[in-house]
Amino acid sequence: MFSPVAEDETRTRTIETGHLLLLLTPALLIILVLFGGGLLLGTLQALSSQPFTEKNALTFAHFTAVLADPDFATSFALTLYIATVSTLVAVIASVVVAISLVRCSAGNRVLNFFLQIPLTVPHLVIAISLLLLLAPTGILSRLCSFLGISKGAASFPLLVNDPYAIGILLTYIWKEIPFITFMILAVLKNSGNELNEVGRTLRANSWQRFRHITLPLIAPSLGAAGFIVFAFTFGAFEVPYLLGRTYPMVLPVWAYKNYTDIDLMARPEGIAIGLIIAAIATCSLLLSQGLMQLARRQREYPGE
Amino acid sequence: MKQTLQLVLLLLLISLTCQVTNSQAIDLQKASWQEIVQAADGQTVDWYMWGGFPAVNTYVNNYVATQLKAKYNITLRQVPVKDIAEVVSKLVVEKQAGKTSGGNVDLMWINGENFRTCKRHDLLFGPFADKLPNQRFVDWGKPSVYNDFGTPVDGMESPWGSAQMVMIYDTARTPEPPKSMAQLIDWIRQHPGRFAYPAPPDFTGSVFVRHVFYHHSEDVNLWQGEYEQKQFEKAASDTYNLLTELKPALWRQGTTYPQSPVRMNTLFADGEIDFSFSYHQAEASRNIQDGLFPPTVRSFVFNEGTISNTHFVAIPYNASDKAAAMVAANFLLSAEAQMEKAKPNVWGDFPALDISRLPMNQQQQFIDLPRGPATLSNQELQAHQLPEPPSDILIQLEKGWEQHVLKGR
Repeated sequence: MFSPVAEDETRTRTIETGHLLLLLTPALLIILVLFGGGLLLGTLQALSSQPFTEKNALTFAHFTAVLADPDFATSFALTLYIATVSTLVAVIASVVVAISLVRCSAGNRVLNFFLQIPLTVPHLVIAISLLLLLAPTGILSRLCSFLGISKGAASFPLLVNDPYAIGILLTYIWKEIPFITFMILAVLKNSGNELNEVGRTLRANSWQRFRHITLPLIAPSLGAAGFIVFAFTFGAFEVPYLLGRTYPMVLPVWAYKNYTDIDLMARPEGIAIGLIIAAIATCSLLLSQGLMQLARRQREYPGE
Repeated sequence: MKQTLQLVLLLLLISLTCQVTNSQAIDLQKASWQEIVQAADGQTVDWYMWGGFPAVNTYVNNYVATQLKAKYNITLRQVPVKDIAEVVSKLVVEKQAGKTSGGNVDLMWINGENFRTCKRHDLLFGPFADKLPNQRFVDWGKPSVYNDFGTPVDGMESPWGSAQMVMIYDTARTPEPPKSMAQLIDWIRQHPGRFAYPAPPDFTGSVFVRHVFYHHSEDVNLWQGEYEQKQFEKAASDTYNLLTELKPALWRQGTTYPQSPVRMNTLFADGEIDFSFSYHQAEASRNIQDGLFPPTVRSFVFNEGTISNTHFVAIPYNASDKAAAMVAANFLLSAEAQMEKAKPNVWGDFPALDISRLPMNQQQQFIDLPRGPATLSNQELQAHQLPEPPSDILIQLEKGWEQHVLKGR
């Protein structure tokens, strides 16, 4: 009884895949030509000894120059610090938000709407807003001195262009919490409740239910979302440019600085830094993809 | 990366479509002005220029384009670019590829380092500036006109306008501003945390460093001709030492710098710092008009002068419509076009002309221009002008500042 239906299903699925590929071709071509082509041209420029001249040879000199620069270690550490801390905080906060949303008000439209705001606001806008809010002469500082909490701009703590990159971290955390929350909310809504009820009938307390039911359930999606956020924050330019210090600078700002240098010979180094960033972001995205596969398999065969 | 791609695509397009429009019938170097104007009739000028300033774009696309069409039947097409250096590197590639005609850039807005690159690689048509009738209104005796950031102009580009650095302060906060670089340095020491400059290579931050460099130079004109590297290194290291020593007295103890003049203006308006400065002499007035600065803000120049430069237009060696480009360059220099450009509500750019060479009634028109409350008079500004040093000094200072002052190595 079941076999013909199953066959039919597989057939429609294969047709759909073929169809889908055909439909996706224009978009894929654009991505491949513009992105892949740009990457290829960039690699060529980063590998050529003297771009824009006739004397040209392939060389790794620009990459070694970047890697040997004492600034590379500092810039790399700073970038890694910002990407890791903002991702970790956003991941932990998202778990709390998602679980409380499922427990208390899964269908609360107002809450959902508020959570969607950060998704639509561009990074640039929130960075500028934070600058106006948190600068020593910003709104918060003025409010504090008005209420008598601080004594004017000089005594207000440094929250932007500061050594601990607090402004940058705040921007990213604010921006990424809803993204991760929605990723794990999908999993929780689908399969969280029944398993939790089973757990409750077996007298597991709420920590045990979280530790042994919810966390394993959301872990792959959570990891996948985390790696996407990490890849983005590692390669993003505008927020550290606006809210960071002049020196040390994160890798993307350093790349931009070299690329726009008045000296054309600094460009290949800028591109080399860009390619290093791209490599790290790609690794992170591959990890994310792997976890996503795992999550899908888990959803399809929850027993395994 | 995107720019490179665009460049390659552009080059492909050029090689496919061009090579047809080569109708340079007359020898422009020998032709009379009358013949050049005739040849320009019906041509199209593709003017590549930095497109980041809306007021300039409006002036070019409305006023200049309309006038050129009406007066000479020339079509002007503005091609806005993010950085004219992109166009220069495109020309370098075309030169290598042996493309000697039919180029799609007819005119470009240029100065400083980009002009030097063009001149060094022979990328320009000319000399043509001396052929333009309106050249007689330009004071070619001024170092900031005959030298473009230390590179002799030699008629390879035609002046369009000029700019001068001015200091900006608030009379309500600082009734007696320091009137020289030496006094300003003392002032910074006595008022810790109240002064900041944008981090070079920002254009405005970089010009401040050059003022400190001039302060440590025995003679500003020393750098205009041949100079000894040893002399430069002495003055440069004095500059870095002073700026490093001043760091604790700067905004945020010099641990960070504003990343742009816009940010410096915000800090100034918010009362975090007491001075701003700009390479645009009318900036303070415009910001008062826009409500960003209080009406008590004024500007001043140092007694020893402040750095000024001229910006130019140039014609590439392979331009398709050179005659029309020359006519356009000449029109840009006319008293009427310069007058329109100088109006504060149009652009407020400083004229490239020496106003005293104009007929009396036109002189009066320039004097009668509304100036805004914080802009100094032309006489006051012109009496206090210092030339820019050669662009290789500029680059060395920017790199040196980063190494010694920013990174403390």
